[in-house]
Amino acid sequence: MIVEMDIISTVSMYALLLIPIGIFIWLQMGLVKETILSALRMTVQLFLVGLYLKYVFQLNNGFVNLGWVIIMMVAANSSVLGKSGLKRKLFFWRTLIGISVSTFIVSGWFVLVAIRPDPFYDARYMVPIIGMILGNCQRSNVLSLERFYSGIRNNEQEFMTYLMLGATLSEAIRPYLRTALKSCVNPSIATMATMGIVSLPGMMTGQILGGAMPMAAIKYQIGIMLCIFAAMVIAAVVNILLSLRVAFDEYQRLRPNIFQ
Amino acid sequence: MIHFDNISLQIHGQILLEQAHLQIAEGDHVVIRAPSGSGKSSLLKLAVGALPMSGGSVRVHDLELSDQTVAEIRSRIGFIGQEPTLGAENVKDALLLPFTFKVHQHNKPAEELIFQTLELLHLERSILDKPSKRISGGEKQRIAIARALLLNKTIFLADEITSALDPASKAAVITALFRPEITLLSVSHDPDWINACGRIVEINKHKLTEAAP
Repeated sequence: MIVEMDIISTVSMYALLLIPIGIFIWLQMGLVKETILSALRMTVQLFLVGLYLKYVFQLNNGFVNLGWVIIMMVAANSSVLGKSGLKRKLFFWRTLIGISVSTFIVSGWFVLVAIRPDPFYDARYMVPIIGMILGNCQRSNVLSLERFYSGIRNNEQEFMTYLMLGATLSEAIRPYLRTALKSCVNPSIATMATMGIVSLPGMMTGQILGGAMPMAAIKYQIGIMLCIFAAMVIAAVVNILLSLRVAFDEYQRLRPNIFQ
Repeated sequence: MIHFDNISLQIHGQILLEQAHLQIAEGDHVVIRAPSGSGKSSLLKLAVGALPMSGGSVRVHDLELSDQTVAEIRSRIGFIGQEPTLGAENVKDALLLPFTFKVHQHNKPAEELIFQTLELLHLERSILDKPSKRISGGEKQRIAIARALLLNKTIFLADEITSALDPASKAAVITALFRPEITLLSVSHDPDWINACGRIVEINKHKLTEAAP
């Protein structure tokens, strides 16, 4: 069983912050306030989530679990759009569909086909697995959308040349779709290749700390890595394809007003 | 063949064309001569739906430009810009790029036709193996022209396409494009090009007016 951290030992962890804060003061970097505020935010948010999850786990009701998952998806979607440089209002529903479709497909496969918990909506599996997928796909979702649209904007003449040479919209966007997808999956391919040697993944570490046998933890880790990779690609493609209708006008020209 | 009716065009709030008209018949070779920034290049872009019009209509053959017809109109017109983008890593791929698109997929030109077209434009066969980044501006212009010729287009919109050419290459391009079966709407400051055109159009007070050749 895990060694439980009491409140005093948790608070003692904040002592570690004194070192970076000392360095910030010494270098007159002015990050002290931001650091303290962020650490406090993290603390409050995690305690609230911990409290909430305690009840979600106790209740273990399929609808409550689904509700929580939807909240996570909406939050992830807002954050993705905020960072992608695209107007939130125009894309919100389309990227929400992209993120939900990809997450539900891969987490559904993992939970229903591989793990098969009873009941299948068991919060102990559903919530952390979907949370990990969403959290890990966030950066790649931002990157794929941002790269795709900035790629076309920065190479507008080339894009128009494709159209002038007879390409349909889906043919003309293909080079930019390829670049966007590559930029989002390349880091993950590298991570998978070095996993276990350079990095010990968080989920595995968490399970081992929680008392699981390393071999059991490894199987979950492999599952989650493959889920993240598949979700990343599905979300990137679905997000981009669904966003085309609002991003291009009826003459296949990129609308300038889609950017923040 | 190409009809601009009542065309109005504003860019960044500045009026370039207002209720302008221009009719181009089959086989006409037209050049637009006007100061920079007066809307010459924009007029060419309007015809292929690359720029939004503020008013008026464009007709190419029997098709009025709209969201329904824009793809068909683009497939009929060869549009060549002043600094054309080749859109592929090497010259051969750039030349064959349009034939990778569904609409032209079945019309892939035979190797012999490619060589003849290169020769017509004073280009060496060896250029096919060069990376697109390594060729000169003049070569790029001629590759873009070759690409449009290989697509068997009969309507050309050409924006200063001789600006980077030496006299011999320019003569070759003029011979290749100024044929009776080709309809040409162009923008140019080049006296040789202007002399070769049968019609000169100017932009005066936001209108398109004919000038004496």
